[in-house]
Amino acid sequence: MKAIYNFRKTHISIIVVILLAAIAGCERDDFQKLPERNWQLVWSDDFEGPAGQLPDPTKWTFDIGTGQDGWGNLELQSYTNNPENVSLDGDGNLVITAIQSGNTFTSGRIKTQGLFSQQYGRFEARLKTPYGPGLWPAFWLLGDNIETVGWPQCGEIDIMELRGQEPHIIHGSIHGPGYSGGNPVSKSYTLTNDRFDADYNIFAIEWDADKIDFFVNDFLYQRIENTDTPGEWVFDQPFFILLNVAVGGNYVGFPTAQTPFPQKMIVDYVRVYTEAD
Amino acid sequence: MKTNIFNRFTQLLATGLILVFFLSCERDITDLELATSSTNPEVFIDGFSAGLNYAAFGGSVPTAFDVDNKVTWNNSAASMRFEVPDDGDPRGSFAGGVFYTDVGRDLSGYNALTFWAKASQSAVIGEIGFGNDLEQNKYVVSIQGLNVSTGWKKYIIPIPDPSKLTSERGLFWYAAGNMDGKGFTFWIDEVKYEKLGTIAHPKFAILNGEDQVETSFIGVSKVIGGLTSTFNMPTGINQAINIAPAYFEFESSDTSIATVDENGRIMVTGGPGDAEITAHVGEVAADGSLTIQSVGAFESAPVPTHAPENVISIFSDHYEDVPVDYYNGYWEPWQTTVSADFEVNGDRILHYLDFNFVGIQFANPTVDATSMTHLHVNIYLPNTLNANAQFQVELVDFGADVAGAVSTTITVNESQQWLSLNLPLNSFSGLTSRANLAQIIFVDVDGNIPSFYADNIYFYDEGDSPPPPDDAPTEPAPTPTHTPENVISIFSDHYDNVPVDYYNGFWEPWQTTNSALFDIDGDNILYYFDFNFVGIEFANPTVDATSMTHLHVHIYLPKPLSANAQFQVELVDFGADVAGALATTISVGQTQQWISLNLPLDNFPGLTSRANLAQIIFVDVDGNIPSFYADNIYFYKN
Repeated sequence: MKAIYNFRKTHISIIVVILLAAIAGCERDDFQKLPERNWQLVWSDDFEGPAGQLPDPTKWTFDIGTGQDGWGNLELQSYTNNPENVSLDGDGNLVITAIQSGNTFTSGRIKTQGLFSQQYGRFEARLKTPYGPGLWPAFWLLGDNIETVGWPQCGEIDIMELRGQEPHIIHGSIHGPGYSGGNPVSKSYTLTNDRFDADYNIFAIEWDADKIDFFVNDFLYQRIENTDTPGEWVFDQPFFILLNVAVGGNYVGFPTAQTPFPQKMIVDYVRVYTEAD
Repeated sequence: MKTNIFNRFTQLLATGLILVFFLSCERDITDLELATSSTNPEVFIDGFSAGLNYAAFGGSVPTAFDVDNKVTWNNSAASMRFEVPDDGDPRGSFAGGVFYTDVGRDLSGYNALTFWAKASQSAVIGEIGFGNDLEQNKYVVSIQGLNVSTGWKKYIIPIPDPSKLTSERGLFWYAAGNMDGKGFTFWIDEVKYEKLGTIAHPKFAILNGEDQVETSFIGVSKVIGGLTSTFNMPTGINQAINIAPAYFEFESSDTSIATVDENGRIMVTGGPGDAEITAHVGEVAADGSLTIQSVGAFESAPVPTHAPENVISIFSDHYEDVPVDYYNGYWEPWQTTVSADFEVNGDRILHYLDFNFVGIQFANPTVDATSMTHLHVNIYLPNTLNANAQFQVELVDFGADVAGAVSTTITVNESQQWLSLNLPLNSFSGLTSRANLAQIIFVDVDGNIPSFYADNIYFYDEGDSPPPPDDAPTEPAPTPTHTPENVISIFSDHYDNVPVDYYNGFWEPWQTTNSALFDIDGDNILYYFDFNFVGIEFANPTVDATSMTHLHVHIYLPKPLSANAQFQVELVDFGADVAGALATTISVGQTQQWISLNLPLDNFPGLTSRANLAQIIFVDVDGNIPSFYADNIYFYKN
């Protein structure tokens, strides 16, 4: 009961904050009263390096190909480790490019699996999304034990997903046993008179044993507590990071003739923090 | 444009009173500033916004537009209703008009025109946008083919560069035709300018985004085309919009070579040298570029010298052209040739690119060239040739439904200069009639000619005194010194010539040689060009040269020789059916002067009889002699 009460309180305070922001026209995060945290950077990639270089192999590895059933979602793209799909741009960014060639698509999906994972903390990325119907960019986490227990038992935290036909809306979700696929615990965040592909935005979660908080530009728009999931809470183990741009699939639908290609997700940085005592 | 202005004064009066009421509360004498344009974003919310007028386009139904108080968006007080007429409506063929103000508005703080729309059926509004001010339409923008359904939906037309619209009078315009002959009704409401963060990624292009390179000359003027623009809409899809050239800022990388004005008109001002023409809209660079490779001063085609009364002109600034249907028929599906005609110092030039073949048609009316003797065409091949090319000209007669073709060899060293083709009409084999000529077709026989310029396309009657080519000798050939009684003359003004069947047999299929007859100071000379070989025949009757000892020929080679040339003369006897050939070396130093050949008849090997001589054939043995002039062709005895 206490948890529910707390949730409602948070919810109401957010509404008040939004109203205040709308009236005052100031930065919304100025008004959020969040407890001070002492975040210490433990892992990061600023994607410095010459243009065309693949991402740092000590930090990232590739998913290649079309997976099973389009990575489980009937996605259309084939992932490559070709620099035209995944490479640094020379200006301190990672660029994942979805390319159309006739009726086929190539793109990129990189991950820290086997190289880095962490339980709890703050995971954030500053990035600009691609756009257009059928584009499906994501910044997300998977449980390290996926190889042994499988999905969705391993758990999935989607820090940012976007449907290209709605370039002003992102979604934050978690998937686990009994709440996966089309039925995650999820909430969206909508920009007013702006788009996520028009400029860089910071997407983050702050995760501890009790809850996962979802942020856009340090504005808290969703808190999922460990009692909020309809099934088992599987988020007490290390997770690794993924960045990808999918094309098509049952989440986003197919690209249309009017979808502009190529499409790029431009990532300024990915940073992972742990909370110092 | 005819306009039909609606007076909305009464509606405005009510709105104006309300506005005054509100504004008067805020009026403060200390805030008075210099008058600036209104930034009012509203065009039509529940009525005409301040200062708005309507004018219907000429040819449209003048009453197509009205204010509707029943069908409105979001149950507002009024909307705009447009009735598109059926086919055959006597009042007009379409619905279309302009909503404008007399005083311009400052729209620079907005980035889109938005409105809600629906229609009585799924329909397409032909064109809709803003910037049409019934005058210059300088900043006109539109979406073509706007799909409207039966439910209200919001539409967005982006402003390419809002900073341009500091005093815009054309706030909204539309033009809509019916669907398959049937009219329909559409409604538009809440028309206003907005600053939207939900449209993004503007893209602009010149030349449809292509990087093109073009050879050009001082004085060439052309307008950059292929201006396109797309914006990404809130649904993530790209929307193409038509935008006026004035939104583009054009730039030349070297204005001493080429300049470009605000309308995208390029003037080539210098050279030799290169200038790259690019553009941007606001701060966004446009895709596409045009690199002008100026070769400097334009070399005009030679000025034609035929008297106008002897000419039927198809394309020339020196004569009056007959009516021409087109200079490029874009004949599908095989033609690749496109036109990029240009003007140099007022002289129009036809420019054919991606050349395979192209037709010019003048069928209304057709041309009676019965009294004409030649077709004249100036061509210029701007690209260097990899090999000799065959440039074919075909003539088509619509009356007799016949056609004929003549092919001309363009040698590799003849590119990048004007060539004058003077094609005898009787050499177009198969063209049995020229009373109803209707088409001239140019064909690249071997695929060696990617592009060419053409000028001075006309039929002419050679008449008595055709003009000599530029490289013709200025002096007549030396006067022969043989006494007439010792001479049998084939071609000379100094002797009586025997009957000659022709001075050029146009022997197919291998002969390329063309010919013409000129006079220099009253002395006729033969001109052979595109020379490989050519035959003169005098078979009616044949010539008995048994008593003769030599053949005399004056020749003049106008073009420099790259190496010594072999000029061969053959004699053919029809009686004994024998022939003999004798080659003469012309050294490189012997060009541009009259050379006197005196060929002993006994030296022609194989010519065992000369009792029935009937042909003299000239042959370019090594391919070194593109053209020559000839005179005083005769047999003589010492």
